[in-house]
Amino acid sequence: MHVDSFNHTMAAHCESGTVTALLNHSGFPISEPMVFGISSGIFFGYFQTKQFPFPTFVVRNKPGSMRERTAKLLGVKYKTMKFKDPDAGMRELDRLLAENRPVACQTDFFYMDYLPNHVRVHINVHFVNVVGKEGDNYIISDCYSPELATLSAEALKKGRFAGGSFSPKGFLFYVESVPQEIDMAHAIRKGIKKAAFYMLKIPIPFLGIKGIRLFAKKVVDWPRRARNIEHLSHEIMKINIFLEDQGTGGGGFRFMYATFLREASEILKRPDLLEMSERIMGIGDRWREISLFAARIGKRRDLGEDRLRELGNKINSRADEEEVFFKDLLKLSKSL
Amino acid sequence: MKDKEAHIDYKEHQLVLYVEREDGTYGPMQTGSYISKNYIDDYWLKRENLEKEYRARVEKGEITPIEYYMVIEELSVSELAARVKLSSRAVKMHMIPKHFAKMSIEVLKRYADVFDVPIVSLLQAIIVSKNGLKISLKKTDNPLFVLLKIDIP
Repeated sequence: MHVDSFNHTMAAHCESGTVTALLNHSGFPISEPMVFGISSGIFFGYFQTKQFPFPTFVVRNKPGSMRERTAKLLGVKYKTMKFKDPDAGMRELDRLLAENRPVACQTDFFYMDYLPNHVRVHINVHFVNVVGKEGDNYIISDCYSPELATLSAEALKKGRFAGGSFSPKGFLFYVESVPQEIDMAHAIRKGIKKAAFYMLKIPIPFLGIKGIRLFAKKVVDWPRRARNIEHLSHEIMKINIFLEDQGTGGGGFRFMYATFLREASEILKRPDLLEMSERIMGIGDRWREISLFAARIGKRRDLGEDRLRELGNKINSRADEEEVFFKDLLKLSKSL
Repeated sequence: MKDKEAHIDYKEHQLVLYVEREDGTYGPMQTGSYISKNYIDDYWLKRENLEKEYRARVEKGEITPIEYYMVIEELSVSELAARVKLSSRAVKMHMIPKHFAKMSIEVLKRYADVFDVPIVSLLQAIIVSKNGLKISLKKTDNPLFVLLKIDIP
């Protein structure tokens, strides 16, 4: 069985892409950057906790926010479910597919075995749309796959019921209804204001602009935490992956945010948002320079103290730039 | 980022980037992964070295296959513990060979499920010395029994 007329397309990010595809399928035309922007997706967080084997960072807001924010700001009604019993979770998925519904599932990325081996890591916040079933295999619309993919029931079950941080517990959701009239301008205003607020005002030292500064400072200490030079090289090169490859749309989501601000400028008829869009596109370019720099020094094992300090300085410059940008955006958001 | 700069010819790993098009508009573009195209060999080299290093340590009895797979799959002790539903202390014990030897098959299977390997892979490593020889482990309906398949070219 296949969900009729579901249109599979690649997207930059799994959650914004999954939500966008579901909304489009439900007859609500909206772009991925718009979903990302009104959800205040742009963010930064630096983490050095027991959950991670090595310090890491994120460039987006909390997983699940895209669905929650589109529900709150656009009035979309989603049905969400979690399951204690994996078999019950799989049965419910089958039942929904039989009703011809595309269903979004939260999974551990590691078990999505149709993706290249080297990109698959254990992370419990991957989202896919399940759009059909053939025998013991599910048809998956994964934003990171150019084509519809096939995944065994066993792998999907493992992915949906993996334990650990952000354990999915079989979480699934689908669109119940989309309102007839949507106040897009209101959602955009709220989304921009919240994003700027989160980047600037959260009083936690590892989040927002403060998180970028902490990253800049701590990256110099990474050799102390690495097993050896190859491990350090691997972690440094992951900076490139986190900023460019791991579903950000490039430049650590800054390019996608620029696209959102441009769309917002047209909807709100505010040329000043167009200017902000160009500014964040430029900031994204300079994040990409950091990505390329990290890949190069990692490959060459050129990871001495001076080189890492240079990397830290580049990251700090992004913090300086983004602090000014988000202060201006916050100020502007009050006049929207 | 300009669309021309974003274009990477690498079919094996495709992704979407948001770019500035020639007409000045912004939008998505499907392209190849820069890091996969340019640095994948380096990734596999490091991975191979890591596997060799940790396998040698398992062989010497310094560590257990639990630590081997935990490091290869980039999990922390606390994350692995949460996934196998044990305490961090228990996982640390299973990383010591003398305690690993006392582990029940049921617990071993929980680890194998998380690492997504057949249970026998926690008790052996397969080394292929002849080029072109393809060896694979095939799961069966019996979770404690796998088929070792050898394809001779």
